[in-house]
Amino acid sequence: MSSSTAQIILSAELLAWRHRLLNRGPGRLVLLGIALLAAAVFIGGGAFTIGAAAGHFLPTTRDTILTGGFTSLSVLMLVIGFPTVIATFFVGRELLQLVLAPVRPIDIFAARLLVAMSANLLISSILLMSTLGVGVGSGAPLAYFPLAVVLIFVQVLVVTALQAILMSVVLRWVPARLARDVAAAVAGLAGAGFYLAWNINLRQSFTARHPDLSSFSSLVGKVEWLPSAWPGHALSAVIAGNNTEAATWVAFSLVFGVLVLAVAEILYQRTLLTGLGVFGGPPPIWRRGVAKQAITVARAGAASPFRAIALKDWLSYRRDIRRLSRMLPALLFPVGYAFAFLRPSQSITSFWTEVFLVGFISMFMSTALATPSIPSERRGFQLLRMAPMTMAQVIRAKVMLTLPPVLVLTLGFSIVVATVSKSGIAQYLELAVLVVWLGIGFVSVGVSAGAIDPRFDASDDRRAVGLVGTLAGLGGTLGFGLLSVGSLALLVFGYAASQGIHQLGPIPATPAIGALMWVGALVLLVGAAGIVITLLWFANARLRSWEGAIATV
Amino acid sequence: MTPPTSSSPFAVEAQGLVKSYGIVKAVDGVSFQVRRGEIMGFLGANGAGKTTTMRMLCGLLTPTSGRALIDGFDIHAQPLEAKARLGYLDEEPFVHPHLTGREFLNYIADLYRMPRGPERQQRMERLLGLFELADRNGELIGAYSHGMKQKIGLASLLIRQPSVLLLDEPTNGLDPRSARLVKDLLEELAELGTTVLLSTHILEVAQALCKRVAIIDRGHVVATGTMEELRAQAGSEQASLEELFLKLTAGPESRELIERLLAPTP
Repeated sequence: MSSSTAQIILSAELLAWRHRLLNRGPGRLVLLGIALLAAAVFIGGGAFTIGAAAGHFLPTTRDTILTGGFTSLSVLMLVIGFPTVIATFFVGRELLQLVLAPVRPIDIFAARLLVAMSANLLISSILLMSTLGVGVGSGAPLAYFPLAVVLIFVQVLVVTALQAILMSVVLRWVPARLARDVAAAVAGLAGAGFYLAWNINLRQSFTARHPDLSSFSSLVGKVEWLPSAWPGHALSAVIAGNNTEAATWVAFSLVFGVLVLAVAEILYQRTLLTGLGVFGGPPPIWRRGVAKQAITVARAGAASPFRAIALKDWLSYRRDIRRLSRMLPALLFPVGYAFAFLRPSQSITSFWTEVFLVGFISMFMSTALATPSIPSERRGFQLLRMAPMTMAQVIRAKVMLTLPPVLVLTLGFSIVVATVSKSGIAQYLELAVLVVWLGIGFVSVGVSAGAIDPRFDASDDRRAVGLVGTLAGLGGTLGFGLLSVGSLALLVFGYAASQGIHQLGPIPATPAIGALMWVGALVLLVGAAGIVITLLWFANARLRSWEGAIATV
Repeated sequence: MTPPTSSSPFAVEAQGLVKSYGIVKAVDGVSFQVRRGEIMGFLGANGAGKTTTMRMLCGLLTPTSGRALIDGFDIHAQPLEAKARLGYLDEEPFVHPHLTGREFLNYIADLYRMPRGPERQQRMERLLGLFELADRNGELIGAYSHGMKQKIGLASLLIRQPSVLLLDEPTNGLDPRSARLVKDLLEELAELGTTVLLSTHILEVAQALCKRVAIIDRGHVVATGTMEELRAQAGSEQASLEELFLKLTAGPESRELIERLLAPTP
């Protein structure tokens, strides 16, 4: 490989990164710095602590923990880092320039590899911290630590190369216009399925007073032959002082890494131009050159902008294969959780479990559907700005349009939950009222978050909201959710207190205390509504003052 | 046609428009008027401030100072009244890629509250036929070529018959036949009373269509008037619009620049 070619490409990439970072403005940079610092302390520190505790207190399961950690984080990287890999290797006008220049595909592959690894490297920092923690907790020899860093870097390299292979294979077998979405859907479904299985398994392991890792060990045992687990075996062998075994696993890992990289490079050479042809062009269109539509004469009557937006959103959404493919994994979560909680062994016995489940599902569906509803207008947002309608009308339309699917899904889920747990009619009604209240609130917060910091240029819903909007959405969701559930709790406990039923330990159950709790419930309810109204007000103000060019995506 | 106009004699008025981005002034005190039923050209080099001015006039950008009036209505103080009378075509039209041409036109007509019914349907079919898009029935706009997107963008303006059209490079990407169609159409519309502010780099189009032109250079309007007025201003009796444009937006002559470029390096 010509080092100068790779150097030139890398320098340009780094320069572009620097500009993107500096163009965010000092306020956003400080916010980003704080967020990164907090993530480093809480996530990194947490991973290190858990690793250290596991390494120290669970010496017999070190191999299981390390191999399980490497495999699970590899799957996470495979899913979350996938868009970055696609974007780096197959999308982007600058790639067209590289193809036109006298540069070999192997040079392009090598130079872009580091950029493609960026998202995976970020995720791998969790694995790094927990692996270092295991080493410290189990008193590993000094060689363990540099070896862990090297093996994790190799793992990231392998996962990135695997993603490039997956994309190349999909490009060869799937109709080109669907390739990206099929790959994203497969990766998303695999990741969501794996996460659910993992989560449910962990839940089983930690339900007793003392952790029972037999189920966890059994799960990891089924996948410990995977190459993703080999670095874990190597590190546990180092801790055990078995240097020959460690060297063998390290050699296996390195040879496997080189093989995967070579295959990825060969496949990339063959599919680079196909990929560029697909992704460098216009976004995929579901129906291309289909049979002609019958021309129907619209019924006479007044025209409604609300109806226009509703119809446009419905038509666009069901034809946008990319958005649909990304909704599939999201929908798997509520279905998976519902399945997990409704199994006979996990039967629901408490009303409050139902409340939190319903709250979670409502929040999840609202975030998935409402948050991108305004940014997904993309360049069409300029049409709304030029139309004789106010931004408040646009926000109201988006809230009203997102509400029905969220309410239908959440109500359906809560009916199933309440039926399985044999709730009474009063609890049915309480849950239904809660679903409607939470749905309206969460959807309003979600739409507001998208309006506060929209990224109309983003081609992916997951990147459609900026940092400020994401923080506003998270804060609003948490605040509204906690106040609403708190209000319900005060209502229920207040009713019990007014009936003389003791439910809150030392707090006396009298009508006066019950009345006081109801006043508290009202205050919390007003607080929850206040959060939503404030966010809607901010969203309206931000959209009214929003201006800027929206690049073609 | 959109509602009758206010008492203002001008359909479009830019009054001291300024747009600053930090210390950079993209547009610096631009003022001009467009009379009713007039086609006015808006010319300028790349980065002169044409698109920024057009976007302030249509309400997509808020001026740092100054006012933009459409049919006498301030686009920022009375946005709903002004927008109902205005149609703006961007150089990259704003369209929805996942709608068909017909669905998109219906969407726009509903946004502007055009009553639904046979009259609207007929107008839509006529426009689709005029721009040779009727055969693309069922095909999504995302699969259209650039020229076809430009045509559906124009159709989306014409379906609602605004009294003022702001067009930024409307013939950009059109084949010669379609470009001619657009030019003829604009002349017809002007005769029927529609006001057009046309931004273009194609000076032949401007010279053929526009009664008056405004020339913007580095954020300032350097000249406004008819061809005769511009010639008098530039002191060139027989000059073409191209010659006037180059003279009024004075920079080094292109011949001189080429000679400098091709001169052997010492």
